[in-house]
Amino acid sequence: MKRKGAAGWLAHDVTHRGVTAWALALAILGFYVVLYWGDNAQGINPFDRVAWALHIGRHGQSGAKWTLYGALYTAAVTLGGIAFLRRYGHNRYQVVRTIVVIVVQATLAFSVPLMMKMAGHPEHYFSYLWPLKMYYFEPGFIRSNPAPLVLWSFIGSLVIAPVLAVIYGKRWYCSWVCGCGGLANTAGDSFRHLSDKSEKAWRFERVSIYATLIITVVTTALVLASAFVQGAHPQLDLWSEKFRTNYGLIVSSLLSGIIGVAAYPIGGTRVWCRYFCPMAAVLGLFQRAGRFRIRVKEDQCISCGMCSEHCEMGIDVRAYAQANESFTRASCVGCGMCSEVCPRGVLTLENAHTKAPQEQLVQLRLKK
Amino acid sequence: MSARRIVILGNGVAGATCALDLRARDDRAEITVISDESDYFFSRTALMYALMDKLPRAGLEPYERRVWERQRITRVRGRVTDLDAERKQLTLADGTTRAYDALVIATGARPRALSVPGIERVRSGVTSFVSLSDLDACESLVATSERAVVVGGGLIGVELVECLVHHGVKTTFVVREPWCWPAGLGAEEGAMVADHLRKHGVDLRFERTVASVEPDASGRVSAVTLSSGERVACEMFGVCVGVEPNVAWLRACKSVPEIDGAIVVDDRLRTSIESVWAAGDCAAVRAGTALVHEPIWYTAKRHGAFVARQLSGSSERYTAPVFKNSAKFFELEYTAVGQCDPRAHKSALWTHKSLPIAARLFHDGATLWGFSALGSRWDTTMIGRWVEERRPLDWARARLREAQFDPEFSRMRVETSAEAWR
Ligand SMILES: Cc1cc2nc3c(=O)[nH]c(=O)nc-3n(C[C@H](O)[C@H](O)[C@H](O)COP(=O)(O)OP(=O)(O)OC[C@H]3O[C@@H](n4cnc5c(N)ncnc54)[C@H](O)[C@@H]3O)c2cc1C
Ligand code: SF4
Ligand code: SF4
Ligand code: SF4
Repeated sequence: MKRKGAAGWLAHDVTHRGVTAWALALAILGFYVVLYWGDNAQGINPFDRVAWALHIGRHGQSGAKWTLYGALYTAAVTLGGIAFLRRYGHNRYQVVRTIVVIVVQATLAFSVPLMMKMAGHPEHYFSYLWPLKMYYFEPGFIRSNPAPLVLWSFIGSLVIAPVLAVIYGKRWYCSWVCGCGGLANTAGDSFRHLSDKSEKAWRFERVSIYATLIITVVTTALVLASAFVQGAHPQLDLWSEKFRTNYGLIVSSLLSGIIGVAAYPIGGTRVWCRYFCPMAAVLGLFQRAGRFRIRVKEDQCISCGMCSEHCEMGIDVRAYAQANESFTRASCVGCGMCSEVCPRGVLTLENAHTKAPQEQLVQLRLKK
Repeated sequence: MSARRIVILGNGVAGATCALDLRARDDRAEITVISDESDYFFSRTALMYALMDKLPRAGLEPYERRVWERQRITRVRGRVTDLDAERKQLTLADGTTRAYDALVIATGARPRALSVPGIERVRSGVTSFVSLSDLDACESLVATSERAVVVGGGLIGVELVECLVHHGVKTTFVVREPWCWPAGLGAEEGAMVADHLRKHGVDLRFERTVASVEPDASGRVSAVTLSSGERVACEMFGVCVGVEPNVAWLRACKSVPEIDGAIVVDDRLRTSIESVWAAGDCAAVRAGTALVHEPIWYTAKRHGAFVARQLSGSSERYTAPVFKNSAKFFELEYTAVGQCDPRAHKSALWTHKSLPIAARLFHDGATLWGFSALGSRWDTTMIGRWVEERRPLDWARARLREAQFDPEFSRMRVETSAEAWR
């Protein structure tokens, strides 16, 4: 039921796909379209002008829009994070996680690269790794960056990320570090319930996410191969360039930026994360093989559905809980909100060392 | 041979669980579920979240709708008015009949009515909080009420009060007992809950009952007078004075099973009528000379699953495992494991020095009989095992930290020394 009063109407409407929700989605979409493609013939974007007016970046400098965008993004994460902390401050997991995500956004994802740029270095985002940042394995990147940075990108992407995912699940990244997840879980928190919980959506997710991963891997491989053969196969260079530009346009800009954020009021906060993010696909595989799980307390679920409703990844948590099944789903980002909202304290996130007693029972399953 | 016709009356958790579990064991049976309340099984325990706008209506349903088609479970919407055991058939209010080879009665519970002077003249504004139609009524009443009175300090009453407070309705909560839900809460926990409710702005009136109700000219409730003589103006009056087994309809039937408050069933959940089982809130299990009636979700679910096994050939006897229950008072979660009856057992209480957190160990001086806790989460599976194994009290207390279940980083320090437990 709706809440009372005009403010109550708005609070309901904007979070329940009402007119205001669609208006908000369109506004965000418009913002991104102008940001990405609104440059005039001189390469000046309307948001560059806004940035200059706010004394962000040098006057006349193109690209100031990105600094403005970074500042807005960081402000959204910080303010949204504070609102989130006021709501869930009693849960220390949520408190610690949210503070970390705000700090990472404000430093590694914003002020550190900004300072690098101001000091004349190429900027570097330490908190992003391959395959989220496609170009870390590209020869161009490797050649133009100091060795420690390149080393960090390699070790971070290929060793640290998977190992941490095996030990703690993908949550260490998707709910604690990544800026996309950071925005979703702070400014976007009121939209988390809009994710699609149906089995159909789950089927789509399993196809779409691994399809994006394959495209990512193929693109990376092509770019590497083309650099390796150094112009010996012009056809390869052509293909590599094609994949690279299209990937940048479709995956990086369209899906992760535009669809990802503009869809908040319509499809929930994790549309990109759930259906397309190649990093999520990789971490999810390690998570499945690792120790993270959501433990279900035996015979205590009242099937109320609060957990499923609040799962931003569209996982039907209730289905597991009411069947007494502890579970690890590849898509789970370990936000811990299912556990937080459960009125009966049925769920807990853990890095399991031992199996819970109920996992040793043979469960009666329905035929599909 | 044609397939067995199994009719399940009631699509609450007992009926729905029975239907699904039976299908998992019996591919051929013709399974029909009848309900007068809803087309699909929904979670009664989640009514409050729908009322608070935290769940959409569809979110109340624990299974996707196509599950019922896929599992070939026929759903019939209608009210059953007669049971004829000789012809093995049910009659619905619209006159149609349904034959069965086996019948499961899972008609649940319905709210107890309040008979106080004036209530017969009230045409609107009075509601309970048990069914989907109550939810509809509450939604429209909340939208049009500034003030409300809720009577009945049980769990459902507290839930309704929470919803009203959530919507900014000024609420007077009338509780007959000296604190909320004394059946489960000790005096200290009761005081914590009362404090917590008051912090949320609830106007609590303990040791009061409702003396009379007044309607306005249009028939809408306009005031409630308490036993103290105080008159509280309101536009909504919530009646949550308990539920009772929904068996009244059975008494008017051609064949009436044995009823003693609830439908009496044996240790295989069979009623006194052949081929008729009963499960959930409407059933009481005969155990020796005693009748065990546990009108809670967990028990109804277990009953439903048990009857499904009976219907697929099992001859096991029903034994209740260690009792577990749970509730929530606004933000304070409550759990109980084992026997937590202050009249039957001694108990030792630990309370947090500053937060509304309490834990209680019930014992006979030497061994553990039960455990209850307010304001924190516990691994009830583990503690249930301790109770089952009748562990020494000191042993259990010393290990309590292992059984904490709060989220990571959120575990408060439980004192485990004997002195800290009064
Ligand atoms: C607001 C609320 C909160 C609750 N919270 C909790 C909780 O937190 N924990 C807990 O353990 N328990 C809780 N309970 C109790 C729990 O919901 C019940 O124990 C449980 O739902 C019982 O299930 P059941 O299947 O026996 O019956 P019900 O869910 O009552 O279902 C019976 C169904 O049969 C239908 N029916 C009855 N008679 C007929 C007829 N003649 N013809 C056709 N259909 C008929 C009814 O309309 C109803 O749909 C709560 C109850 C309420 C109302
Ligand atoms: S799914 Fe991808 S974008 Fe989303 S939080 Fe995880 S890594 Fe970041
Ligand atoms: S299952 Fe729980 S922890 Fe995992 S993403 Fe969903 S709400 Fe977050
Ligand atoms: S929120 Fe808790 S009680 Fe409700 S369905 Fe989920 S696990 Fe069960």
